[in-house]
Amino acid sequence: MGQEVAEFLFEILAEEIPAGVLPSAREELLARVSAAFAEARLGGRLAVHSTSRRLALVGEELVDQPDAESEITGPPASAGYDADGKPTKAAIGFAKAQGVAVEDLRVVSLPKGTYVVARKVTPGRPAAEVIGEILPRLVEKMTFPRMMRWGDGTPEWIRPVHSVLALFDGLVIPMTLFGVESGRTTFGHRTLAPARIVTMSVLDWFQKLRAAHVEPDLAVRRSRFEEQARALAAEVGGEPADDAALLDTWAHLVESPGVVRGSFDPAFLELPEEILVTSMREHQKMLPVRANGALAAHFLAVCDQVGDPQGLIARGNEWVTAARFSDARFFWDDDGKTKLEDRLPRLAKLQFQETLGDTLKKTDRIQDLAGKLAARLGLSHLDGMLARAARLVKADLVTDMVREFPDLQGVVGGLYARREGEPEEVWQALYDQYRPASADDGVPRGDVGGVIALADRLDTLTGLFGLGLAPTGSKDPYALRRAALGVVRILLDKKWRLDLPAACAAAATLHVGLPRANDEVLPELSAFFLERLRFLLEKKGHAFDTVAAVLTTDCSDLADAAERVEAVEVLRKEQDFAPLATAFKRMQNILEEAPGENAEPDPAKMTDDAEKALALDYLQARGMLDDLIARRRYRDALSIMASLGPALDRFFTEVLVMAEDPEVKANRMALLRSMRDQFARVARFSEIRA
Amino acid sequence: MDLQTLILKLSAYWASKGCLIEQPWDVEVGAGTMHPATFLRVLGPEPWRAAYVQPSRRPADGRYGANPFRLVKHQQYQVVLKPAPMDVQDLYVESLVALGIDPKEHDLRFEEDNWESPTLGAWGVGWQVLLDGMEITQFTYFQQAGGIDLAPITAEITYGLERLTMFLAKQRSVYDIEWAPGVTYGEVRKQDEYEVSKYGFEVADTAFWQTLFERFEAEAVRCLDAELVLPAYDLALKCSHAFNILDARGAVSATDRVSVIRRVRELAVRCAKAYVASREAQGFPLLRKAAAQPSEDGAGSG
Repeated sequence: MGQEVAEFLFEILAEEIPAGVLPSAREELLARVSAAFAEARLGGRLAVHSTSRRLALVGEELVDQPDAESEITGPPASAGYDADGKPTKAAIGFAKAQGVAVEDLRVVSLPKGTYVVARKVTPGRPAAEVIGEILPRLVEKMTFPRMMRWGDGTPEWIRPVHSVLALFDGLVIPMTLFGVESGRTTFGHRTLAPARIVTMSVLDWFQKLRAAHVEPDLAVRRSRFEEQARALAAEVGGEPADDAALLDTWAHLVESPGVVRGSFDPAFLELPEEILVTSMREHQKMLPVRANGALAAHFLAVCDQVGDPQGLIARGNEWVTAARFSDARFFWDDDGKTKLEDRLPRLAKLQFQETLGDTLKKTDRIQDLAGKLAARLGLSHLDGMLARAARLVKADLVTDMVREFPDLQGVVGGLYARREGEPEEVWQALYDQYRPASADDGVPRGDVGGVIALADRLDTLTGLFGLGLAPTGSKDPYALRRAALGVVRILLDKKWRLDLPAACAAAATLHVGLPRANDEVLPELSAFFLERLRFLLEKKGHAFDTVAAVLTTDCSDLADAAERVEAVEVLRKEQDFAPLATAFKRMQNILEEAPGENAEPDPAKMTDDAEKALALDYLQARGMLDDLIARRRYRDALSIMASLGPALDRFFTEVLVMAEDPEVKANRMALLRSMRDQFARVARFSEIRA
Repeated sequence: MDLQTLILKLSAYWASKGCLIEQPWDVEVGAGTMHPATFLRVLGPEPWRAAYVQPSRRPADGRYGANPFRLVKHQQYQVVLKPAPMDVQDLYVESLVALGIDPKEHDLRFEEDNWESPTLGAWGVGWQVLLDGMEITQFTYFQQAGGIDLAPITAEITYGLERLTMFLAKQRSVYDIEWAPGVTYGEVRKQDEYEVSKYGFEVADTAFWQTLFERFEAEAVRCLDAELVLPAYDLALKCSHAFNILDARGAVSATDRVSVIRRVRELAVRCAKAYVASREAQGFPLLRKAAAQPSEDGAGSG
């Protein structure tokens, strides 16, 4: 076998592969084939390329498979050779079984003794032969979210495969994929250069495809799109809207990266920007153009060819945009004929959930709960606004605009409420009700919006948990995890002190006919919220053991719990927490061994110096701790707790808690219990790792 | 180009590709797929190529003739090719050329769009075809119909006739396109749209349609028990139409919807099974014929 390096080229030409699956298909193909090549010891490096119709691999510096040596242990040397050193039947048989000559057997000293060993060389195979076996197996086994069958109904992949090109060192690697024989041919762009292309090498493939209006390199297409979008927008004094995800999608949608600019009647700019942008982005995959901070009457559209000399493509896209915008304007005007208020009866026909009733009933519960939450949050002065917002909050679900643009639910309600002259707090509450929609999104702007969003989610969560429809594993059809995360985000961002279990209990009482009892549901729900809180805090970069130390204490107020986590994190960096953690663990262990009543420690009954010293320090600090904790000055409280470390340490070194005198013992336990409980108002330090 | 010229050109083209020119089905349907020439013919091993216009009714899309793009009753041009030849996309692109569209001058893209009909127990994968950003065709490889996994696979090409005519004529309203030279679509259809919208949204007697649904369903079951596939299928289509009217009228709650869809699907599934059994009993006549005379147009090699 020669050790010369060679290049490798593999291309599958298929019917248009969905843009959404291409990113994972590229990754999967590259990873699987790279791993298989490495296992087959073919060396080299692979890169993946793709277009809307192709998946390709390019390899360089590949080698033929080298010979493989292996040693097989046979009988012990004492059994393999007689006293004269002649091979016995055992050695002869072993050599025969391994396919080597008896003379080639060797005696080797192994840890378990001296043995006869056969050294076998498995000759390497030509890389092309190995690849020809590997590739069809891996490609035919690729999985996609929605597979399809074609032809006689047997082959199954993402889309029908038309040609397979496979070259190693310029020679065809014979293989059959989905019944298609490999060769050195492919085809150019579907409409611009559909003719057959014969390729001799990787370089030849790139050059001929580029000449045939196909740019195989995703990154090149992506940057061409960016350049063209900037240039075309600049010609009209604007810039493309910032949307990296859409440019990524464009790059997967085509073979030839083209952009056209079109215009629309500026009169459409009277429509709310949200609607125009959603129509362009979601329905047409168009990039809006912005100028001077506002939407301009232009758009940028993707197309699968560079250049539009007659302007036909731009005109077609303009026609479609005008049609879509006219449609939106029709909904905007037509929906405007019926006020949100007057749509409420139709909500009675819109089911929220079978047992939980229709959407109008949900609206009533939101209104009721919003008032209760406001009272708890000291926001009762907003009751009038809350009642109004709660009443209208779901009315946009029965508008044509939301039927047309489901992603704009909430936003549409807000826009309509603004048009109807509702106060800012009210229309913003409608507009923001589904926020935060993602990790990057903010929470509802005002207090009214925050309360309404909380009430809506708590109603949903208590209702569905009460029905036994909590998410399981990866199944979360009602998006309850997102709803709970929204609750946590709102409480934390707004620093709202809310007794969440009590708020959930209030929400739960508004449901009727739930099969599960509240005392069963509410603890589950509390744990569910704490899981989301844990996730959020750890994502913010807080240490998992700090988070655990706080979340194992009473956390009915999530914002407070988050503050305590932050305080512990800050203090941990400044002070050594190890003694406190150790001392807390010891307190915990002793108190578990001998449970008792809460009692006030009595310094008069103390006998040992270390005990007296600790009591003196602690009882002095206790009042200050009470005050600091009440005022949420957790950092100060924590540094006082940490300062008790040495006294505690001395106590555990010098004092036997389990004294023989029951009164002395009880008094010591009372001291420890009081300290443990006081500390645990901030964190359970035993969770903290050194 | 006017609507009828478009239809004539498509028919001439697909007839030249070996399609039998079928006629519209005479029962209310929501889409050309529900025509027996598609739904039943995709089942079983027999080859089949057909093309036809199918007026399709979607009561919920009613806009009283006031919206320039939406119609209760629109027309689809439906092509089914079974088995789907490997050059089916090329055949489709050629059909655009036959309509006078030069694909080199326009942007033609196939964007993923899968299709599913819970009432028919059918689904397929494919694309919406975009011409300069306008969706002009739905292109689907049928995978399952009536709950039966299909083999061979049929390609279904559905042109939205009104939209395509609007696009080619660059008209902003469907009512302004010409049906025939000198006669607009609005002159022929606008009043119809107003009336069917008003009926669907305001006038339709829900108790009456509820009763019809149940009686059509019972009658369909009787036909299935008597092994009469096509009458049973017609009655299943009637059920589907009754459901659409009730739905537009807002008379179907979300929970009812699931069970009503299931009832129609059960009929469709039984019809599909009975159809395959009936064709098999007849010895799959088109299969024998195809074996006897190999196709001449060569479209099946690819």
